Amino acid sequence: MAEQKITIKPKESFKIPVDGYIIGPDNMAGKSADDINEMETWHGNQVVNLGALFEITVDGSAGPEDTTITLEGDFSRVKRIGSGMGNGKLIVNGDVDMHCGAVMMGGSLIVNGNADSWAGREMKGGELIIEGDAGDYVGSAYRGETVGMKGGKIIVKGNVGDYVGEHLGGGEIEVGGDAGILAGVNMIGGSITIEGNADLPGAEMTNGTVTVKGEVEMLPSFRFEGTESVGSVELRKYTGDLAVRGTGKGTLYVK
Amino acid sequence: MSLLIKNGIVYDPINNIEGEKMDIFVSDGKIASDAKDAKEIDVNGKLVLPGGVEGHTHIAGGKVNAGRIMRPEDSRRGAEPRSKLTRAYSGCSVPNVYATGYRYAKMGYTFLMEAAMPPMAARHTHEELIEIPIVDKGAMPVLDNHWMTMECVKDGDMDKLTAYIAWMLKATKGFGIKIVNPGGVEAWAWGKNVSDLHDRVPNFDVSPAEILKGLSVANERLNLPHSIHVHCNRIGSPGNSETTLETYGLLSDVKNDDRQVMHATHTQFHGYGGENWGDFCSKADEIAKYVNSHNNLTIDLGVVMFCDTTTMTGDGPHEFNLYRLTRRKWSNHDVELEVGSGVVPFVYGPKIPPHAIMWAVGIELPLLIDDPWKVMMTTDNPNGCPFTFYPQIFAQLMSKKKREAMLEEVHPVVNSHAILPSIDRELDWNDIAIMTRGAPARLLGIDKHGKGHLGIGADADIAIYDIAPKEVDPAMDYKSIERAFSYTAYTIKSGEIVCKDNEVVAVPKGKTFYVDPEIDDSVMDTMLPDLKDKFKECYSINMANYPVQDAYLPNPYKISTKGT
Amino acid sequence: MSAENTTVTDVVCPFCGSLCDDLEVEVEGNKIVKVKKACKLGKSKIMGHQRIETPMIREDGEFKEVTYDEAIDKAAQILADSKRTLSYGWASTSCEAIEKGIHLSEVVGGVIDSTASVCHGPTVLAVQGVGSPGCTLGEVKNRADLVIFWGSNPVHAHPRHQARYSYNAKGFFSDGKEDRTLMVFDVRKTKTADKADEFVQVEPGSDYKIFSAMRTILSGNEDVVPDEVGGVSKEKLIEIIEMMKKAKFGVIFGGLGITQSRCRYKNLENVISFVDEMNEHAKFTLIAMRGHYNIGGFGQVCAWETGYPFAVDFSRGYAWYNPGEATAVDVLNRKECDVVLAVAADPVSNFPRASVEYMREVPVIQVDPYPNPTTEFADVVIPAAVAGVEAEGTAYRMDSISIRMRKIIDTKFLSDEEIFEKILNKVIERKEGA
Repeated sequence: MAEQKITIKPKESFKIPVDGYIIGPDNMAGKSADDINEMETWHGNQVVNLGALFEITVDGSAGPEDTTITLEGDFSRVKRIGSGMGNGKLIVNGDVDMHCGAVMMGGSLIVNGNADSWAGREMKGGELIIEGDAGDYVGSAYRGETVGMKGGKIIVKGNVGDYVGEHLGGGEIEVGGDAGILAGVNMIGGSITIEGNADLPGAEMTNGTVTVKGEVEMLPSFRFEGTESVGSVELRKYTGDLAVRGTGKGTLYVK
Repeated sequence: MSLLIKNGIVYDPINNIEGEKMDIFVSDGKIASDAKDAKEIDVNGKLVLPGGVEGHTHIAGGKVNAGRIMRPEDSRRGAEPRSKLTRAYSGCSVPNVYATGYRYAKMGYTFLMEAAMPPMAARHTHEELIEIPIVDKGAMPVLDNHWMTMECVKDGDMDKLTAYIAWMLKATKGFGIKIVNPGGVEAWAWGKNVSDLHDRVPNFDVSPAEILKGLSVANERLNLPHSIHVHCNRIGSPGNSETTLETYGLLSDVKNDDRQVMHATHTQFHGYGGENWGDFCSKADEIAKYVNSHNNLTIDLGVVMFCDTTTMTGDGPHEFNLYRLTRRKWSNHDVELEVGSGVVPFVYGPKIPPHAIMWAVGIELPLLIDDPWKVMMTTDNPNGCPFTFYPQIFAQLMSKKKREAMLEEVHPVVNSHAILPSIDRELDWNDIAIMTRGAPARLLGIDKHGKGHLGIGADADIAIYDIAPKEVDPAMDYKSIERAFSYTAYTIKSGEIVCKDNEVVAVPKGKTFYVDPEIDDSVMDTMLPDLKDKFKECYSINMANYPVQDAYLPNPYKISTKGT
Repeated sequence: MSAENTTVTDVVCPFCGSLCDDLEVEVEGNKIVKVKKACKLGKSKIMGHQRIETPMIREDGEFKEVTYDEAIDKAAQILADSKRTLSYGWASTSCEAIEKGIHLSEVVGGVIDSTASVCHGPTVLAVQGVGSPGCTLGEVKNRADLVIFWGSNPVHAHPRHQARYSYNAKGFFSDGKEDRTLMVFDVRKTKTADKADEFVQVEPGSDYKIFSAMRTILSGNEDVVPDEVGGVSKEKLIEIIEMMKKAKFGVIFGGLGITQSRCRYKNLENVISFVDEMNEHAKFTLIAMRGHYNIGGFGQVCAWETGYPFAVDFSRGYAWYNPGEATAVDVLNRKECDVVLAVAADPVSNFPRASVEYMREVPVIQVDPYPNPTTEFADVVIPAAVAGVEAEGTAYRMDSISIRMRKIIDTKFLSDEEIFEKILNKVIERKEGA
């Protein structure tokens, strides 16, 4: 089977963020290094060629599903990497900036580093794996929307900031470390599992499941239902958030 | 700039021109009989209409901006980048001021009437209006739930009421008298509503019927170019057509030789039967029957289309009910001594029975009303849908085939609870020209001020569409209608080409129309002491700071009226 | 202006979000000699204090006095050549100036943000989540029988608010405080709380939980609420809710105590939802106690111009809105911008240290009537007339009502509106040709 491998390295340490929305298998598969060098994106208020910002090598040619893009280096000022991607593999050996994997529909995005906020915003499918920490709003909605992430899977091995899974509609989010405040706020479906601590999880939820295995600060608006075995652990089960006019039918499992 | 538009097929209903091939001369911003050194545009059989007149739309002011602030998710969907000539666009149902002007102008519209201006916040409305590029505009202050209005009505003091209305029109630089759920919005200031025309408004002891009749008297005494513009009680409720017809009947004996005495707005939202959402049905036939048999009433449509939009009206209690129904986010703003408003996002879905019926009602009304001169084309933008849906609406009115295609996609309840499937009538080019140009201009009274027609001396506001009326059968080829009306080949504003093939090529500033009614000082003096007291005791702003200053109308167009 | 003594009436105070418009200012020969009816904050503003006397450009570390044209040229050149300008402040100037400022940001493809992002930005964010159940201040004066200040201390920050609009104010249906119950919720007993009929002390950072508990009680599920939430007993919360349900017209004035404490904008979402739900039982509204006199105006103007109320990034030619990304503190913390334009604000005094330190590394343009710590960081300083005293213009009160501010005296200074008109034209010329 034909495969395409693309590597991208930053030529400098960016201070003004680069818009990386175009970095993804769907946009780059089947293109040569020259083609990709000439693709345009924004750097601050300037339109620039990718080749001016990055060193790009291409090996082979294939469709998006068989294309792997590897980003080597510090991408902590490159936003929207893998945004909207639907196929293929995107691996970052370094940190990434905000909105990585936003509106992802498929494929696999792996960050061997930390991600900034809004990782996996409005995700619809595929998998997003962050080996380090992520910022706020992992798998969240955009401002004002009633629903954000609708499908797919996000795994953050480290800690996440606040509002993980805000307005979650579907899909799964797994956090290996701690979460900040209000995990799962406004969620209407899907599941969030936090191995570590979380404060005020499940606020305003009306459906879906949040599990917190570490220390938790509880909201005063959930109904205790009893204990349940989840995996090998005994957890307390709550339903709510009853603050939502008493209608919340979400499930909250805590230690 | 002088222009000569050659070989267009012109529909100019006010001047009885119905699909004639003729040349149009433009000179010094006006339609002329001749023009020196004219730039020639040979449109070769294409459709030429006067610039569109949008008679009722929500585009500027407090509640529109509340919609924008509340809905960044709407703003981001309509984003387009700036160019050297044009500012960045944002928004779909709540576009920014630039998108509003550019999109309307690209569609061939050159005059917009903001439907509801809260008088205490009129300054805000005008601040936004002057930022809307290209088009001419005006705004109607909402005047029916005012304490002064209700007190005058209670006392039966029509002189005082007339003086108050005159003061308000001058202070707000307003165009006419807008009425919204009379009595109900004052009740809402306490969390209540009124249930029918004869309910008593708490603390003021007047009824909606009395308020409406009183304002009609004031309107006629001031001889305003437009009649009272009425958003009836019980909007959006099953069975409300009863109240609607009763409202129309309040003025059935009142006559004005020059124009209608009542303009009932977004009639689609007021044309329902049934007692609950289960037996909700269309009463467009009964509404149409009344309109057909009375010559002193006109309507505009308020067509619903299936989309994600934003409801926004001065009907505070109604918007609260929409929030309770949908549990979407809700913005409310009651304005002291005067008005209210609410904003709630809304999605109309074709498979949702009441929405399917609402859509049907909006299309039924213009097809069941015999005389197109009684009908203004509106969507109550953005309440029914954004104005950008006009091409699809025109196509439905001109083509039964298009309606049939849509009927296949909507909930079958329309077969039993609406009338549309059985209607064969198809509107023609002239009907559309009347409903979008001739009628709105005439009903608003701005035909006498150069709008809505192409007679010599009229403003050279012209829309040229890329469609040949003599060659296209709209009934069969409705897709061409949708395409052609989406944007003009040329939009000309005051004699200047402003849009060409969906691009903005010039951005002149439009004029703000307002009405300055003449009133005797002695009559004003019967009212002023009371008003001054209200400012002293009840308002939170000084009277001297209340009126809209001239700075907010850098391009004013004043319509002076003499009372009767 | 004549040398005689004149009194200007109906003057609009350009200080806080109360935007009092009943001030009287005595002027003698183009000098303000007395201000009547204002609180001491407004009086001090209008009487005037130390000014930036002349435009300046920094050369070799020292300020050199220049003409307006020179300073404006320099500013325009820096802005036109920038890749990512951060334009910040804007809450203490007129809407007309703000319009120019937004246009300028659009042309230079930069970021524009207002002081809301460190003040009531959270309230605006909450409105985007759940809406805004509001009314004008006169509705409160005329109808309210229950007035609640939550995390807000008007005696300190909005001194005439209670007399003009909320607690003491008499109206058509109200005899003022005789007819009213005043409740204060705060983390400590403030001066406003001293006069309240009921003061409820809440634990810092617990407002979110208290709102959730109140809504849960309101929904009929009080059995799940613990005996004590955020330092307040469940019994007390139930009692408060029963009292609220009996109100004819209740209003909650929300302040920085809720916008800037833990959970931030979610606090506002929660209390706004509570107010929405209270409307099933009694008329209830919420008004944010906006700080600067025209921060509301920035939000309004920015919304009608761009579709968003603050934190707007124009780098891709259209507006991209995202607080946390296009907010000033974040842009500075991340060292993203290459130019800072500070207008009618003092970021150096108010921002976190890391943000301020970064301002040393980039050109800073300041447009302000007054010198402040930001001036020390500035490379170009352009003195402005004081809007509402020396220049006319529109401002929006905390309840979204706009009032036109008067020009009381003549001045040698250009207004913000004039300054930015000139800068904008020069930038357009430089970037796009004449």
